[in-house]
Amino acid sequence: MLSYILRRIVATLPVMAIVALFVFSLLYIAPGDPAVVIAGDQASPEDVERIRQSLGLDRPFLIQFGSWVWRILHGDLGTSIFTNLPVSTMIGQRLGPTLSLMVVTLLLTIVIAVPLGVLAAWKAGSLIDRVIMGFAVFGFSLPVFVVGYMLAYVFALQLEWLPVQGYTPLAAGFWPWLENLILPAVALGCVYIALIARITRATMLEVLQQDYIRTARAKGLGQGGILFIHALKNAAVPIVTVIGIGIALLIGGAVVTESVFAIPGLGRLTIDAILRRDYPVIQGIVLLFSFVYVLVNLMIDVTYTIVDPRIRY
Amino acid sequence: MDRRTVLKGLAGAGSLALTGISAPAIAQGASARTLRFVPQANLANFDPIWGTQYVVRNAAALVWDTLYGIDSSLQPQRQMVESEQVSDDGTIWTFKLRPGLKFHDGEPVLSKDVVASLARWAVRDPMGLMITALQQELTAVDDRTFKWVLKQPFPKMLYALGKNNSPCAFIMPERIAQTDPFKQIGDYVGSGPMKFAKAEWVPGAKAVFEKFADYAPRQEKSSWLAGGKQMLVDRIEWIVMPDAATAAAALQNGEIDWWENPIADLVPVLKKNKNISVDIGDPLGNIGSFRMNFLYPPFNDVRARRAVLMAMSQEDYMRAIVGDDNSLWKPLPGFFTPDTPLYSEAGGEILKGKRDLDAAKKLLAESGYSGQPVTCLVAQDQPITKAMGDVTADLLKKLGMNVDFVATDWGTVGSRRALKTPPGQGGWNMFHTWHAGADCTNPAPYTAIRANGDKAWFGWPTSPATEKEVTSWFEAKSLDEEKAAIGRLNKAAMDDVVYAPTGFFLSYTAWRKNVSGIAKGPLPFFWGVSKSA
Repeated sequence: MLSYILRRIVATLPVMAIVALFVFSLLYIAPGDPAVVIAGDQASPEDVERIRQSLGLDRPFLIQFGSWVWRILHGDLGTSIFTNLPVSTMIGQRLGPTLSLMVVTLLLTIVIAVPLGVLAAWKAGSLIDRVIMGFAVFGFSLPVFVVGYMLAYVFALQLEWLPVQGYTPLAAGFWPWLENLILPAVALGCVYIALIARITRATMLEVLQQDYIRTARAKGLGQGGILFIHALKNAAVPIVTVIGIGIALLIGGAVVTESVFAIPGLGRLTIDAILRRDYPVIQGIVLLFSFVYVLVNLMIDVTYTIVDPRIRY
Repeated sequence: MDRRTVLKGLAGAGSLALTGISAPAIAQGASARTLRFVPQANLANFDPIWGTQYVVRNAAALVWDTLYGIDSSLQPQRQMVESEQVSDDGTIWTFKLRPGLKFHDGEPVLSKDVVASLARWAVRDPMGLMITALQQELTAVDDRTFKWVLKQPFPKMLYALGKNNSPCAFIMPERIAQTDPFKQIGDYVGSGPMKFAKAEWVPGAKAVFEKFADYAPRQEKSSWLAGGKQMLVDRIEWIVMPDAATAAAALQNGEIDWWENPIADLVPVLKKNKNISVDIGDPLGNIGSFRMNFLYPPFNDVRARRAVLMAMSQEDYMRAIVGDDNSLWKPLPGFFTPDTPLYSEAGGEILKGKRDLDAAKKLLAESGYSGQPVTCLVAQDQPITKAMGDVTADLLKKLGMNVDFVATDWGTVGSRRALKTPPGQGGWNMFHTWHAGADCTNPAPYTAIRANGDKAWFGWPTSPATEKEVTSWFEAKSLDEEKAAIGRLNKAAMDDVVYAPTGFFLSYTAWRKNVSGIAKGPLPFFWGVSKSA
């Protein structure tokens, strides 16, 4: 197993290299010029050119790419064109809020979606099943920003239970940290709760038809034991897969959620950087995201062996 | 159901119920010495000479002081300067600094700092460049005195040093001001009433300013960038909120104190909340515009440009931007900011009265237009340009033009508009933008009105008559002479259609009622603003 994990980690390197080349090329050919944005409306073409030179944007593609790769190899993600801050600092500033949002969302999703899916499968065809699946369709259909606005309206403006926006670091206390994350996590989690509940139901339904479940019932095992020990464990592989994919998708969802709830996370940093053509920041974030994607996939593969001992690499 | 209805429904419905409800605990617990402000945009950099965005200028006005400051009557007043003398021939300016001025690191503000700051500013500012072209020397005479010697008189010197148009002539320590003006500073030691808390800066999210205890404000009453900049709060937090509905909800919920520019769609909601005040933020407002490319057909022919002006309805543009609120816009048959001393409608008849589409079509045909595509760049991520672009597309189609509507983002428009290649090869025929009214009160900061061909702003208009009157204004020695020059300038620019003004529009600012002292002006002025618990 250890050698498998090591092999997979080594295999991420060419993936990251290809992503790096792809992103760099894409940004190079994309329209837009950070020098123009920096120079402002009053600037002359000569001013813009001088700024471009000072940023090194006038150098040939290969030289720019080479120098970027060289810095990356030395652990330097570069400096933001606009803020003059190291990209690693900017990412570090934004990592906490995004990570917090993802963790809370994920926990919320698993805690709600898996039991709902199991319940729907157990009561398949009943009113409970229909209500749960109806909720799933609803959750799946509503855009994150609509859910976000609705939640803010009810729980912040009407009931005044929770703040509308912002982020408080965990260091400031557990409740201040959590109260800022509840609404965004629910808004972001809705679609994943729906997705995972549906997948859980479908796989559980299949497992519940198996002979060993009938045997367990014949032996007189309780319903809870059958559902959560025998059935759920055997249905876990596809559920884990979808949860893993969900983590990756959460990164995309965080962009909208962070904007709606004014959370200073990586999603907003990405949008800001793209709109301003802050190349070093975009490149740094995309590299980070690609690493996270690869890492999540590795974790899923490893998890398979835990939930299903028959799987060996 | 349209966008406005949805926005009002989502962000606004709550306020109806909220009306009359006191602020929640989160606001009551906040310190009355901290002002939480939502700026117009993200503070992405903090060098007001290197980056000339308005949001940078607005933040910089807190941290760095200026030698002079423009007041609400658009006149430059002494600020860091105690006195000035100008030689009889107008070529030698001698300035003396006020005593007791200090930088945030405790060092005194000296003439050498001023000289270095002005030298850096002058490289990036259009008026600074004009002064530099006339400059013989700029030197420090002693610690508090410095001298600017010119080859020719420059009557607008004090205006240049005090203007609020970006870049402003902010005074920095010499070691910082010696930075290449095309490179960004990283040290934010200022001379103004607030210190920049660099450690708390999260670009795109938050910027914090703390009161500078050793700042020596003038004794006069404050007026825009002039007078005593008395800080009545200890800390100002700029909280960036990209989503307008979120900012509206946060203001209603007491999580922020002041929102610089609420969008027009949400203003009715805010006005209904008894805890919130809403008023026009900047009486100088904005001028909407689209520019036509003088280099290529069809707009290289003045008849085609005039045909567009004859057909366009400024009301259509303004309603697309501000909606149904008639107090937020007015027609603008001219190029200068309404209700300012130099405003003129000379030559503006073409934009007045009933629109004559048939006559416009006839004039367009006379220009030789034969159905070639008109590449119209429209930034979709800016509500103002998007609204104007939609109206223009409709207008051009009514005129029988073949519209190549390029829906893109502002970043792309920013770089593509600089291309002089033909429209079919990456260039363009038209793009939309807007100008702060504060930049259109006279020709000095008004880059968009210049018509000196290759050196002019995007579209590269050529109008010798316009340029002649720009020079006349710079040489004018009295307000009457200035007004006469501007009248002629306005007519020439309208005749040659240097650009198409789409109207004058205002925007609101909103704050909670426990905040007082907010002044109307071209930027948010924080001096004199206080907050009760």
